[in-house]
Amino acid sequence: MHSTHIYFSDIGIRFGHQQVLTDTELEIISGRCILLCGKNGSGKTTLLRIIAGLEVPNTGFVNTGIGKYDLNKYRQQLRQTTVYLHQQPYMFDGDVVSNLNFSLNNKLTRKQRTDRINSAIEWAGLQNIANNSAKTLSGGERQRVAIARAWLRNPGVLLLDEPITNMDQGSRSRTIELLINLKQQGVALVVSSHDPVHFGALTDTLLQISEGRVHRFRTSDNVTPIHYRKHLNKNAKQT
Amino acid sequence: MDESTSITLDAIHLLFSGDAELWKIIAVSFQVSSTAILISVPPALAIAFILANADFPGRRLLISIFNTLLAVPAVVIGLTFYLLLSKQGPMGDWKLLFTQSAMIMGQTALCFPILVAMGHAAFQAVDKRAWETARTLGASPSLAFYTVMKEARFGLLAALFAAYGRIIAEVGASMMLGGNILHYTRNIPTAIALETSKGEFSQGIALGIVLIILAFALNTSLQYFQGKGHLSN
Repeated sequence: MHSTHIYFSDIGIRFGHQQVLTDTELEIISGRCILLCGKNGSGKTTLLRIIAGLEVPNTGFVNTGIGKYDLNKYRQQLRQTTVYLHQQPYMFDGDVVSNLNFSLNNKLTRKQRTDRINSAIEWAGLQNIANNSAKTLSGGERQRVAIARAWLRNPGVLLLDEPITNMDQGSRSRTIELLINLKQQGVALVVSSHDPVHFGALTDTLLQISEGRVHRFRTSDNVTPIHYRKHLNKNAKQT
Repeated sequence: MDESTSITLDAIHLLFSGDAELWKIIAVSFQVSSTAILISVPPALAIAFILANADFPGRRLLISIFNTLLAVPAVVIGLTFYLLLSKQGPMGDWKLLFTQSAMIMGQTALCFPILVAMGHAAFQAVDKRAWETARTLGASPSLAFYTVMKEARFGLLAALFAAYGRIIAEVGASMMLGGNILHYTRNIPTAIALETSKGEFSQGIALGIVLIILAFALNTSLQYFQGKGHLSN
Protein backbone atom coordinates (compact mmCIF):
# COMPACT_ATOMS: atom_id res chain seq x y z
CA MET A 1 0.00 0.00 0.00
CA HIS A 2 1.52 3.32 -1.07
CA SER A 3 1.47 6.22 1.36
CA THR A 4 -1.06 8.95 0.67
CA HIS A 5 -0.98 12.53 1.85
CA ILE A 6 -3.18 14.91 -0.12
CA TYR A 7 -4.11 18.43 0.86
CA PHE A 8 -7.12 20.06 -0.79
CA SER A 9 -7.67 23.78 -0.52
CA ASP A 10 -9.96 26.56 -1.75
CA ILE A 11 -12.58 24.10 -3.01
CA GLY A 12 -15.63 25.97 -4.16
CA ILE A 13 -18.60 24.80 -6.18
CA ARG A 14 -21.82 26.44 -7.21
CA PHE A 15 -24.94 24.83 -8.69
CA GLY A 16 -26.93 27.53 -10.44
CA HIS A 17 -27.29 30.36 -7.94
CA GLN A 18 -26.53 28.18 -4.93
CA GLN A 19 -22.99 28.20 -3.56
CA VAL A 20 -22.69 24.68 -2.17
CA LEU A 21 -19.07 24.78 -0.95
CA THR A 22 -16.79 27.74 -0.26
CA ASP A 23 -13.05 27.81 0.54
CA THR A 24 -13.14 24.22 1.70
CA GLU A 25 -9.95 22.59 2.98
CA LEU A 26 -9.30 18.94 3.62
CA GLU A 27 -6.21 16.90 4.46
CA ILE A 28 -6.25 13.20 3.64
CA ILE A 29 -3.59 10.95 5.16
CA SER A 30 -2.97 7.20 4.81
CA GLY A 31 -4.49 5.08 7.56
CA ARG A 32 -6.65 7.87 8.90
CA CYS A 33 -10.38 8.38 8.70
CA ILE A 34 -12.20 11.64 8.24
CA LEU A 35 -15.87 11.69 9.13
CA LEU A 36 -17.87 14.36 7.31
CA CYS A 37 -21.02 15.31 9.13
CA GLY A 38 -23.79 17.67 8.25
CA LYS A 39 -27.44 17.84 7.42
CA ASN A 40 -28.87 16.41 4.23
CA GLY A 41 -28.03 18.73 1.36
CA SER A 42 -25.14 20.36 3.20
CA GLY A 43 -22.62 19.38 0.51
CA LYS A 44 -21.06 16.20 1.94
CA THR A 45 -21.71 14.13 -1.18
CA THR A 46 -20.57 16.95 -3.45
CA LEU A 47 -17.27 17.22 -1.56
CA LEU A 48 -16.68 13.46 -1.81
CA ARG A 49 -17.46 13.53 -5.53
CA ILE A 50 -15.04 16.40 -6.08
CA ILE A 51 -12.28 14.48 -4.30
CA ALA A 52 -13.14 11.42 -6.42
CA GLY A 53 -12.79 13.48 -9.60
CA LEU A 54 -16.44 12.90 -10.51
CA GLU A 55 -17.58 16.49 -10.01
CA VAL A 56 -15.99 19.59 -11.50
CA PRO A 57 -15.51 22.33 -8.89
CA ASN A 58 -15.43 26.04 -9.79
CA THR A 59 -12.26 26.50 -7.75
CA GLY A 60 -9.87 24.23 -5.91
CA PHE A 61 -6.28 23.18 -5.52
CA VAL A 62 -4.62 19.94 -4.62
CA ASN A 63 -1.20 19.45 -3.08
CA THR A 64 0.34 16.00 -2.90
CA GLY A 65 3.71 17.19 -1.61
CA ILE A 66 5.17 17.58 -5.08
CA GLY A 67 3.38 20.82 -5.85
CA LYS A 68 0.11 22.66 -5.82
CA TYR A 69 -2.12 21.91 -8.79
CA ASP A 70 -5.44 23.12 -10.09
CA LEU A 71 -7.95 20.52 -8.94
CA ASN A 72 -9.67 20.34 -12.33
CA LYS A 73 -6.41 19.51 -14.06
CA TYR A 74 -5.64 16.87 -11.46
CA ARG A 75 -8.93 14.95 -11.74
CA GLN A 76 -7.41 12.16 -13.85
CA GLN A 77 -4.75 11.45 -11.21
CA LEU A 78 -7.34 11.65 -8.43
CA ARG A 79 -9.38 8.95 -10.14
CA GLN A 80 -6.35 6.68 -10.09
CA THR A 81 -5.86 7.14 -6.34
CA THR A 82 -9.42 7.22 -5.08
CA VAL A 83 -12.46 4.98 -5.19
CA TYR A 84 -15.88 6.47 -4.52
CA LEU A 85 -18.74 4.39 -3.17
CA HIS A 86 -22.25 5.69 -3.74
CA GLN A 87 -24.75 5.70 -0.90
CA GLN A 88 -26.38 2.75 -2.66
CA PRO A 89 -23.48 1.15 -4.54
CA TYR A 90 -24.17 0.26 -8.14
CA MET A 91 -23.89 -3.42 -9.03
CA PHE A 92 -23.23 -4.38 -12.63
CA ASP A 93 -25.29 -7.12 -14.28
CA GLY A 94 -23.93 -10.54 -13.39
CA ASP A 95 -22.92 -12.28 -10.19
CA VAL A 96 -20.76 -11.05 -7.33
CA VAL A 97 -17.64 -12.64 -8.85
CA SER A 98 -18.06 -10.77 -12.13
CA ASN A 99 -18.53 -7.52 -10.20
CA LEU A 100 -15.30 -8.14 -8.32
CA ASN A 101 -13.60 -9.05 -11.58
CA PHE A 102 -14.40 -5.59 -12.94
CA SER A 103 -11.87 -3.97 -10.60
CA LEU A 104 -8.96 -6.09 -11.73
CA ASN A 105 -6.31 -5.07 -14.19
CA ASN A 106 -6.67 -6.63 -17.64
CA LYS A 107 -3.00 -7.59 -17.63
CA LEU A 108 -3.48 -10.20 -14.89
CA THR A 109 -3.52 -13.85 -15.87
CA ARG A 110 -6.64 -15.93 -15.34
CA LYS A 111 -5.10 -17.63 -12.30
CA GLN A 112 -4.03 -14.33 -10.78
CA ARG A 113 -7.55 -13.00 -11.26
CA THR A 114 -9.11 -16.05 -9.61
CA ASP A 115 -6.69 -15.84 -6.68
CA ARG A 116 -7.35 -12.16 -6.12
CA ILE A 117 -11.11 -12.56 -6.38
CA ASN A 118 -11.01 -15.48 -3.93
CA SER A 119 -8.98 -13.44 -1.48
CA ALA A 120 -11.47 -10.56 -1.76
CA ILE A 121 -14.39 -12.93 -1.20
CA GLU A 122 -12.68 -14.32 1.88
CA TRP A 123 -11.67 -10.89 3.16
CA ALA A 124 -15.18 -9.48 2.91
CA GLY A 125 -16.96 -12.69 3.97
CA LEU A 126 -18.85 -13.05 0.69
CA GLN A 127 -18.55 -16.85 0.37
CA ASN A 128 -22.29 -17.46 0.64
CA ILE A 129 -23.27 -14.94 -1.99
CA ALA A 130 -20.34 -15.19 -4.42
CA ASN A 131 -22.46 -16.71 -7.18
CA ASN A 132 -25.62 -14.72 -6.52
CA SER A 133 -26.84 -12.11 -8.94
CA ALA A 134 -25.37 -8.84 -7.66
CA LYS A 135 -28.53 -6.87 -8.47
CA THR A 136 -30.59 -8.97 -6.04
CA LEU A 137 -28.36 -8.43 -2.98
CA SER A 138 -29.55 -6.64 0.14
CA GLY A 139 -28.23 -3.18 1.01
CA GLY A 140 -25.67 -4.53 3.47
CA GLU A 141 -24.43 -7.21 1.06
CA ARG A 142 -24.13 -4.67 -1.75
CA GLN A 143 -22.06 -2.41 0.45
CA ARG A 144 -19.72 -5.27 1.35
CA VAL A 145 -19.36 -6.28 -2.31
CA ALA A 146 -18.67 -2.65 -3.20
CA ILE A 147 -16.02 -2.37 -0.47
CA ALA A 148 -14.41 -5.64 -1.63
CA ARG A 149 -14.50 -4.36 -5.22
CA ALA A 150 -12.78 -1.18 -4.08
CA TRP A 151 -10.25 -3.18 -2.02
CA LEU A 152 -9.21 -5.05 -5.17
CA ARG A 153 -8.30 -1.70 -6.72
CA ASN A 154 -5.81 -1.15 -3.91
CA PRO A 155 -6.88 2.48 -3.49
CA GLY A 156 -4.98 5.16 -1.62
CA VAL A 157 -8.23 6.85 -0.62
CA LEU A 158 -11.68 5.33 -0.18
CA LEU A 159 -14.61 7.75 -0.21
CA LEU A 160 -17.86 6.44 1.25
CA ASP A 161 -21.16 8.27 1.03
CA GLU A 162 -23.47 7.35 3.93
CA PRO A 163 -22.19 3.75 3.94
CA ILE A 164 -24.42 2.35 6.69
CA THR A 165 -27.69 4.14 6.04
CA ASN A 166 -30.76 1.88 6.25
CA MET A 167 -28.74 -1.11 7.46
CA ASP A 168 -29.60 -3.46 10.28
CA GLN A 169 -27.27 -3.79 13.25
CA GLY A 170 -25.48 -6.90 11.91
CA SER A 171 -24.78 -5.44 8.46
CA ARG A 172 -23.67 -2.17 10.04
CA SER A 173 -21.15 -3.94 12.29
CA ARG A 174 -19.75 -6.05 9.42
CA THR A 175 -19.37 -2.98 7.20
CA ILE A 176 -17.59 -0.99 9.90
CA GLU A 177 -15.30 -3.97 10.61
CA LEU A 178 -14.26 -3.97 6.95
CA LEU A 179 -13.60 -0.23 7.06
CA ILE A 180 -11.50 -0.57 10.21
CA ASN A 181 -9.53 -3.33 8.50
CA LEU A 182 -8.98 -1.12 5.44
CA LYS A 183 -7.77 1.69 7.64
CA GLN A 184 -5.32 -0.66 9.35
CA GLN A 185 -4.03 -1.59 5.89
CA GLY A 186 -3.18 2.07 5.36
CA VAL A 187 -6.11 3.21 3.24
CA ALA A 188 -7.23 6.78 3.89
CA LEU A 189 -10.97 6.91 4.49
CA VAL A 190 -13.35 9.80 4.03
CA VAL A 191 -16.83 8.90 5.22
CA SER A 192 -19.91 11.08 5.04
CA SER A 193 -22.78 10.58 7.42
CA HIS A 194 -25.63 12.63 8.80
CA ASP A 195 -25.51 10.45 11.89
CA PRO A 196 -21.92 10.07 13.15
CA VAL A 197 -22.65 8.03 16.27
CA HIS A 198 -21.83 4.65 14.70
CA PHE A 199 -18.35 5.64 13.55
CA GLY A 200 -16.68 6.14 16.92
CA ALA A 201 -14.15 3.32 16.48
CA LEU A 202 -13.22 4.49 13.02
CA THR A 203 -12.96 8.25 13.14
CA ASP A 204 -9.76 10.27 13.54
CA THR A 205 -10.99 13.63 12.37
CA LEU A 206 -14.52 14.84 12.55
CA LEU A 207 -15.57 17.65 10.25
CA GLN A 208 -18.89 19.36 10.03
CA ILE A 209 -20.19 20.95 6.85
CA SER A 210 -22.68 23.72 7.28
CA GLU A 211 -23.55 26.73 5.15
CA GLY A 212 -21.09 25.58 2.52
CA ARG A 213 -18.07 25.58 4.82
CA VAL A 214 -16.17 22.80 6.57
CA HIS A 215 -15.57 23.22 10.29
CA ARG A 216 -13.07 21.06 12.13
CA PHE A 217 -14.80 19.80 15.25
CA ARG A 218 -12.36 17.55 17.06
CA THR A 219 -9.20 15.66 16.22
CA SER A 220 -8.15 12.11 16.93
CA ASP A 221 -6.98 12.79 20.47
CA ASN A 222 -10.39 13.40 21.87
CA VAL A 223 -12.92 12.79 19.17
CA THR A 224 -16.06 11.02 20.18
CA PRO A 225 -18.95 11.13 17.80
CA ILE A 226 -21.28 10.74 20.81
CA HIS A 227 -19.95 14.06 22.17
CA TYR A 228 -20.44 15.52 18.74
CA ARG A 229 -24.03 14.34 18.66
CA LYS A 230 -24.62 15.86 22.10
CA HIS A 231 -23.13 19.06 20.76
CA LEU A 232 -25.52 19.00 17.80
CA ASN A 233 -28.49 18.27 20.06
CA LYS A 234 -27.48 21.12 22.36
CA ASN A 235 -27.23 23.51 19.43
CA ALA A 236 -30.58 22.32 18.13
CA LYS A 237 -32.22 23.00 21.48
CA GLN A 238 -30.67 26.47 21.66
CA THR A 239 -32.02 27.34 18.25
CA MET B 1 -56.81 -26.55 -54.92
CA ASP B 2 -57.66 -22.86 -55.04
CA GLU B 3 -55.42 -20.27 -56.68
CA SER B 4 -53.95 -18.75 -53.52
CA THR B 5 -52.91 -22.18 -52.17
CA SER B 6 -51.36 -23.03 -55.50
CA ILE B 7 -49.39 -19.74 -55.55
CA THR B 8 -48.18 -20.28 -51.99
CA LEU B 9 -47.01 -23.83 -52.81
CA ASP B 10 -45.22 -22.48 -55.90
CA ALA B 11 -43.56 -19.85 -53.71
CA ILE B 12 -42.34 -22.45 -51.20
CA HIS B 13 -41.07 -24.62 -54.05
CA LEU B 14 -39.26 -21.61 -55.56
CA LEU B 15 -37.68 -20.81 -52.22
CA PHE B 16 -36.31 -24.28 -51.60
CA SER B 17 -35.42 -25.12 -55.22
CA GLY B 18 -32.33 -22.90 -55.02
CA ASP B 19 -33.55 -20.47 -57.69
CA ALA B 20 -30.46 -18.36 -58.43
CA GLU B 21 -32.37 -15.19 -59.27
CA LEU B 22 -34.39 -15.34 -56.08
CA TRP B 23 -31.36 -15.93 -53.89
CA LYS B 24 -29.43 -13.12 -55.59
CA ILE B 25 -32.27 -10.75 -54.68
CA ILE B 26 -32.11 -11.96 -51.08
CA ALA B 27 -28.30 -11.55 -51.07
CA VAL B 28 -28.53 -7.95 -52.35
CA SER B 29 -31.06 -7.14 -49.64
CA PHE B 30 -28.90 -8.47 -46.83
CA GLN B 31 -25.71 -6.99 -48.26
CA VAL B 32 -27.13 -3.48 -48.58
CA SER B 33 -29.04 -3.43 -45.30
CA SER B 34 -26.23 -5.01 -43.27
CA THR B 35 -23.73 -2.48 -44.63
CA ALA B 36 -26.09 0.39 -43.80
CA ILE B 37 -26.51 -0.91 -40.24
CA LEU B 38 -22.77 -1.42 -39.76
CA ILE B 39 -22.08 2.13 -40.93
CA SER B 40 -24.80 3.61 -38.72
CA VAL B 41 -24.34 1.79 -35.42
CA PRO B 42 -21.09 3.32 -34.07
CA PRO B 43 -21.92 7.03 -34.64
CA ALA B 44 -25.60 6.57 -33.78
CA LEU B 45 -24.82 4.88 -30.45
CA ALA B 46 -22.18 7.50 -29.63
CA ILE B 47 -24.73 10.28 -30.27
CA ALA B 48 -27.38 8.39 -28.29
CA PHE B 49 -24.95 8.05 -25.35
CA ILE B 50 -24.01 11.74 -25.45
CA LEU B 51 -27.67 12.78 -25.61
CA ALA B 52 -28.42 10.58 -22.60
CA ASN B 53 -25.47 11.63 -20.46
CA ALA B 54 -24.19 15.07 -21.42
CA ASP B 55 -25.88 18.37 -20.84
CA PHE B 56 -25.29 20.96 -23.54
CA PRO B 57 -27.24 23.73 -25.26
CA GLY B 58 -29.50 22.37 -27.99
CA ARG B 59 -29.68 18.86 -26.54
CA ARG B 60 -33.47 18.83 -26.32
CA LEU B 61 -33.74 20.25 -29.82
CA LEU B 62 -31.49 17.46 -31.15
CA ILE B 63 -33.61 14.81 -29.40
CA SER B 64 -36.73 16.33 -30.94
CA ILE B 65 -35.13 16.35 -34.40
CA PHE B 66 -34.17 12.68 -34.18
CA ASN B 67 -37.63 11.76 -32.90
CA THR B 68 -39.18 13.69 -35.78
CA LEU B 69 -36.95 11.92 -38.30
CA LEU B 70 -38.44 8.62 -37.13
CA ALA B 71 -41.67 9.58 -38.84
CA VAL B 72 -40.16 10.58 -42.19
CA PRO B 73 -41.42 8.17 -44.90
CA ALA B 74 -38.84 6.12 -46.78
CA VAL B 75 -40.00 7.61 -50.05
CA VAL B 76 -39.18 11.12 -48.81
CA ILE B 77 -35.67 9.98 -47.85
CA GLY B 78 -35.44 8.41 -51.31
CA LEU B 79 -36.56 11.62 -52.99
CA THR B 80 -34.09 13.72 -50.98
CA PHE B 81 -31.12 11.52 -51.89
CA TYR B 82 -32.38 11.23 -55.46
CA LEU B 83 -32.20 15.02 -55.76
CA LEU B 84 -28.76 15.08 -54.15
CA LEU B 85 -27.35 12.27 -56.32
CA SER B 86 -29.03 13.06 -59.65
CA LYS B 87 -26.86 14.60 -62.36
CA GLN B 88 -28.03 18.12 -61.57
CA GLY B 89 -27.69 17.58 -57.82
CA PRO B 90 -24.77 18.68 -55.61
CA MET B 91 -23.48 15.09 -55.42
CA GLY B 92 -24.20 14.27 -59.07
CA ASP B 93 -20.52 14.02 -59.96
CA TRP B 94 -20.16 11.02 -57.69
CA LYS B 95 -22.35 9.02 -60.15
CA LEU B 96 -23.88 6.97 -57.38
CA LEU B 97 -27.52 7.03 -58.43
CA PHE B 98 -28.92 3.55 -59.18
CA THR B 99 -26.06 1.83 -57.38
CA GLN B 100 -25.92 -0.19 -54.18
CA SER B 101 -23.97 2.70 -52.60
CA ALA B 102 -26.96 5.00 -53.13
CA MET B 103 -29.25 2.40 -51.56
CA ILE B 104 -26.87 2.14 -48.60
CA MET B 105 -26.91 5.92 -48.19
CA GLY B 106 -30.70 5.97 -48.19
CA GLN B 107 -31.00 3.08 -45.76
CA THR B 108 -28.36 4.61 -43.48
CA ALA B 109 -30.42 7.79 -43.34
CA LEU B 110 -33.50 5.71 -42.54
CA CYS B 111 -32.03 3.61 -39.73
CA PHE B 112 -29.87 6.32 -38.14
CA PRO B 113 -32.70 8.16 -36.30
CA ILE B 114 -34.16 4.85 -35.10
CA LEU B 115 -30.81 3.85 -33.62
CA VAL B 116 -30.32 7.27 -32.02
CA ALA B 117 -33.84 7.61 -30.61
CA MET B 118 -34.13 4.05 -29.30
CA GLY B 119 -30.47 4.02 -28.22
CA HIS B 120 -31.02 7.24 -26.32
CA ALA B 121 -34.00 5.69 -24.52
CA ALA B 122 -31.93 2.59 -23.71
CA PHE B 123 -28.99 4.60 -22.34
CA GLN B 124 -31.32 6.87 -20.40
CA ALA B 125 -32.73 3.82 -18.62
CA VAL B 126 -29.28 2.92 -17.26
CA ASP B 127 -28.49 4.35 -13.85
CA LYS B 128 -25.90 7.14 -14.04
CA ARG B 129 -24.02 5.38 -11.23
CA ALA B 130 -23.03 2.67 -13.75
CA TRP B 131 -20.78 5.13 -15.60
CA GLU B 132 -19.47 6.67 -12.37
CA THR B 133 -18.80 3.30 -10.77
CA ALA B 134 -16.90 2.13 -13.84
CA ARG B 135 -14.83 5.33 -13.89
CA THR B 136 -14.08 5.30 -10.16
CA LEU B 137 -12.97 1.66 -10.47
CA GLY B 138 -10.33 2.73 -12.97
CA ALA B 139 -12.09 2.18 -16.30
CA SER B 140 -11.02 4.38 -19.21
CA PRO B 141 -13.83 6.38 -20.89
CA SER B 142 -14.02 3.78 -23.68
CA LEU B 143 -14.24 0.86 -21.22
CA ALA B 144 -16.82 2.74 -19.14
CA PHE B 145 -18.83 3.36 -22.35
CA TYR B 146 -18.63 -0.35 -23.18
CA THR B 147 -19.74 -1.18 -19.61
CA VAL B 148 -22.77 1.11 -19.90
CA MET B 149 -23.56 -0.45 -23.29
CA LYS B 150 -23.55 -3.85 -21.65
CA GLU B 151 -25.96 -2.61 -19.01
CA ALA B 152 -28.22 -1.22 -21.76
CA ARG B 153 -27.80 -4.21 -24.06
CA PHE B 154 -31.47 -5.28 -24.24
CA GLY B 155 -32.64 -1.83 -25.22
CA LEU B 156 -29.78 -1.45 -27.69
CA LEU B 157 -30.51 -4.84 -29.26
CA ALA B 158 -34.15 -3.84 -29.62
CA ALA B 159 -32.99 -0.64 -31.37
CA LEU B 160 -30.70 -2.63 -33.66
CA PHE B 161 -33.40 -5.13 -34.62
CA ALA B 162 -36.03 -2.43 -35.13
CA ALA B 163 -33.66 -0.47 -37.38
CA TYR B 164 -32.70 -3.56 -39.37
CA GLY B 165 -36.33 -4.60 -39.73
CA ARG B 166 -37.22 -1.13 -40.98
CA ILE B 167 -34.57 -0.90 -43.71
CA ILE B 168 -34.66 -4.44 -45.03
CA ALA B 169 -38.39 -4.13 -45.65
CA GLU B 170 -38.53 -0.58 -47.04
CA VAL B 171 -39.33 -0.12 -50.68
CA GLY B 172 -39.48 3.63 -51.37
CA ALA B 173 -35.84 4.65 -50.95
CA SER B 174 -34.48 1.44 -52.49
CA MET B 175 -36.67 1.80 -55.56
CA MET B 176 -35.77 5.47 -56.13
CA LEU B 177 -32.07 5.22 -55.36
CA GLY B 178 -31.33 1.69 -56.60
CA GLY B 179 -33.54 1.62 -59.66
CA ASN B 180 -34.51 -2.05 -59.16
CA ILE B 181 -31.78 -3.39 -61.51
CA LEU B 182 -31.76 -7.20 -61.64
CA HIS B 183 -28.72 -8.87 -60.03
CA TYR B 184 -27.44 -5.49 -58.84
CA THR B 185 -29.90 -3.30 -56.97
CA ARG B 186 -33.06 -5.41 -56.93
CA ASN B 187 -33.75 -6.30 -53.30
CA ILE B 188 -36.60 -8.12 -51.60
CA PRO B 189 -39.13 -5.28 -51.29
CA THR B 190 -38.51 -3.82 -54.77
CA ALA B 191 -38.72 -7.32 -56.27
CA ILE B 192 -42.04 -7.96 -54.49
CA ALA B 193 -43.40 -4.65 -55.81
CA LEU B 194 -42.27 -5.48 -59.38
CA GLU B 195 -43.49 -9.08 -59.43
CA THR B 196 -46.85 -8.07 -58.00
CA SER B 197 -47.29 -5.40 -60.67
CA LYS B 198 -46.55 -8.08 -63.30
CA GLY B 199 -49.06 -10.46 -61.74
CA GLU B 200 -46.28 -12.95 -60.84
CA PHE B 201 -47.21 -13.60 -57.26
CA SER B 202 -45.12 -16.72 -56.55
CA GLN B 203 -41.77 -14.96 -56.34
CA GLY B 204 -43.34 -12.10 -54.36
CA ILE B 205 -44.77 -14.51 -51.80
CA ALA B 206 -41.49 -16.44 -51.61
CA LEU B 207 -39.66 -13.21 -50.82
CA GLY B 208 -42.39 -12.22 -48.38
CA ILE B 209 -41.83 -15.52 -46.57
CA VAL B 210 -38.13 -14.63 -46.28
CA LEU B 211 -39.03 -11.29 -44.70
CA ILE B 212 -41.44 -12.92 -42.26
CA ILE B 213 -38.84 -15.56 -41.31
CA LEU B 214 -36.31 -12.75 -40.78
CA ALA B 215 -38.72 -10.76 -38.59
CA PHE B 216 -39.47 -13.90 -36.59
CA ALA B 217 -35.75 -14.69 -36.20
CA LEU B 218 -34.97 -11.15 -35.02
CA ASN B 219 -37.79 -11.15 -32.49
CA THR B 220 -36.94 -14.64 -31.23
CA SER B 221 -33.30 -13.58 -30.80
CA LEU B 222 -34.40 -10.53 -28.84
CA GLN B 223 -36.59 -12.67 -26.59
CA TYR B 224 -33.69 -15.06 -26.09
CA PHE B 225 -31.28 -12.27 -25.16
CA GLN B 226 -33.82 -10.68 -22.85
CA GLY B 227 -34.11 -13.92 -20.92
CA LYS B 228 -37.37 -14.64 -19.18
CA GLY B 229 -39.38 -12.01 -21.03
CA HIS B 230 -41.36 -11.01 -17.95
CA LEU B 231 -40.79 -9.03 -14.80
CA SER B 232 -38.49 -10.65 -12.27
CA ASN B 233 -39.76 -11.56 -8.81
